[in-house]
Amino acid sequence: MDDRRGCVKLAHTVALFVAAASLFFLAIGKAPIPMFHAMLDGSVGSGFALSETLVKASPIVLCALATALPAMAGLVSVGAEGQLFAGSITGTAFVLCSGDGFGPATLPLLLIAGAAGGAAYGALAGLLRARLRVNETLATLLLNYLTPLFVDYLVYGPWKDPNSLGWPSTVSFPDAARLPSYFDTRVHLGLFLGVSLVLVAAAAAKRTRLGLAAQLIKASPTLSERAGLSQRKAFVLLFALGGAAAGIAGIAEASVVEGRLQSGVGAGAGYAGFLVAFLSGGHLLRLLPFAFVVAALTAAGDNLQLVAGLPSSVVFVLEGLLFACALAASSRARHSGQQGDSM
Amino acid sequence: VSAVELLSSVSPGFAAAALRSATPLLWALLGETVVQRAGIVNLGTEGQMLVGAAAAFGITAHTGGPWLGLAGGALAGCALSLVHALLCVRYRGNQFASGLAVWLMGFGISGYVGAGFVGQSIEGFPPLSGSWLGRVPVARDLTPTVLLSFAAVVFCWVLVYRTRPGLALRAVGESVAAARIAGLRASWVQAGCIAFGGILSGVGGAALSIDYAQTWAEGMTKGRGLVAVGLVIVARWNPLLALPAALLFGASEALSLRLQSAGVTVSQHLLHMLPYVTSLVVFVAICTRRGTASGAPAGLRAVLDG
Repeated sequence: MDDRRGCVKLAHTVALFVAAASLFFLAIGKAPIPMFHAMLDGSVGSGFALSETLVKASPIVLCALATALPAMAGLVSVGAEGQLFAGSITGTAFVLCSGDGFGPATLPLLLIAGAAGGAAYGALAGLLRARLRVNETLATLLLNYLTPLFVDYLVYGPWKDPNSLGWPSTVSFPDAARLPSYFDTRVHLGLFLGVSLVLVAAAAAKRTRLGLAAQLIKASPTLSERAGLSQRKAFVLLFALGGAAAGIAGIAEASVVEGRLQSGVGAGAGYAGFLVAFLSGGHLLRLLPFAFVVAALTAAGDNLQLVAGLPSSVVFVLEGLLFACALAASSRARHSGQQGDSM
Repeated sequence: VSAVELLSSVSPGFAAAALRSATPLLWALLGETVVQRAGIVNLGTEGQMLVGAAAAFGITAHTGGPWLGLAGGALAGCALSLVHALLCVRYRGNQFASGLAVWLMGFGISGYVGAGFVGQSIEGFPPLSGSWLGRVPVARDLTPTVLLSFAAVVFCWVLVYRTRPGLALRAVGESVAAARIAGLRASWVQAGCIAFGGILSGVGGAALSIDYAQTWAEGMTKGRGLVAVGLVIVARWNPLLALPAALLFGASEALSLRLQSAGVTVSQHLLHMLPYVTSLVVFVAICTRRGTASGAPAGLRAVLDG
């Protein structure tokens, strides 16, 4: 029954989105059908397009975890964007501090450094919520503006490559500090880390103490207190774990996609991740297909730039429309559900 | 007002710079105050400011009329805010999610419309130094949108505390159910507040693009709309306190610009962080005392603490 309702909701979302996107294309004077064709072409239409979609999916699925994990305890975090940048900073710091001492341990340490930065930044928001009762949604939104600016400071200032001819970026990462790519494409280790972390998180939610604790806290804070659960500890821990995932996304983007830290690396993935977490509606495993869908939408938007000459901002319009359609559709599902219950 | 006096005692030029920088934020802050009073949080304020900024810039560039641009910005902000009203009032969707959807749309649409505006220049409002205000110390360095925003502060205070619609929206913000029993059409009141907030945030965006910056850049609000949502809480949902709250951001931005031009050795990128750090620290400090939602309308408390 739950599954059937989910399918109806999904069908509604897709139908609404196609209608809304068609209206948008008509409004900007483009025929919808060729636009949709270009979108499919650019996202799943060829092996190359598919691989580019998967490249975009890796930071998105990792950032989706940064929202989905705190959401297990009923928290609304929008902090993935800031945590992604925090991870790219600490990971890059590790590379720059290593001098020439690179070896087989470099990659794991690089990932740990990135995860630590994201986790610390996530834990900060968790602490603010747990200790000081600061609303986590607004706190994370404000925190999101600090780390990207700090990256700007670093790449224009102390970390700037002196040989980059004025281009604000660090030196290129050495090969030992680059995540491996596979299948002669740009698809890299980050994707497999993202998928495995989602699977681990889904299993842990069902089997670990923290998983049950989070569910109890979400269901009833008073009950969980009587059961002796520390709400504070759970909040900080979930935020830190989610932040670690976003931090990995950040260092992966810097290490393999760009090969160096530069201004705005990976920007937008955090908010796309929030959209994915929202679409999944609390089902961790559903993060995977929805991350693919949102990544495909991003790749599709890129192709619209090439084929139809639309500006890059078209991606945000499409993401916003998908978001709005999902909200409208879930409300319909809820209302019909209520009617069903009362009968 | 005491904050203004404090600033002008430092330097009249600095006070004017802080006020000019605070104005776009102040408009959005006032709008969001009314919205939150009715029990709704609208993160879409950021997107509404952006479409307001883009529409105002385009209209001003084409017609040469900044007043027409200001009106266009207000309309654009209002139109986009109706999406939030539809999603979270009509469809009862999650308010944070709906606000983010509106933000993304506003970012995208304004970027799309504004793609052709990059690098264009416009003629904004004529400086007040040419008018009768030219002899008043701080006022001569201000612009019409700054002075209008002062009027808007008073207007919003009167609206919220001294009028029938104001009583209605506060009642709805406390309890939708009770307001319905009293015969109010709560959904329409909330939708109306969101639309009002849309108008004010659109004006705020317009003030940014055609008055403060006099250029267009993608995403030029840089989080001002989100800062506004947080600072409403700092201002305790009171339109009169919105002015000092907005000045926190405005004064830090003016300070960071002034330090840059004074040739301080600190990186400009670190200085850019200053207004956000100030806003965050004050937000945390205010929330810390009794939790984010203490003193909030009961309906809003359910959203913020839920």
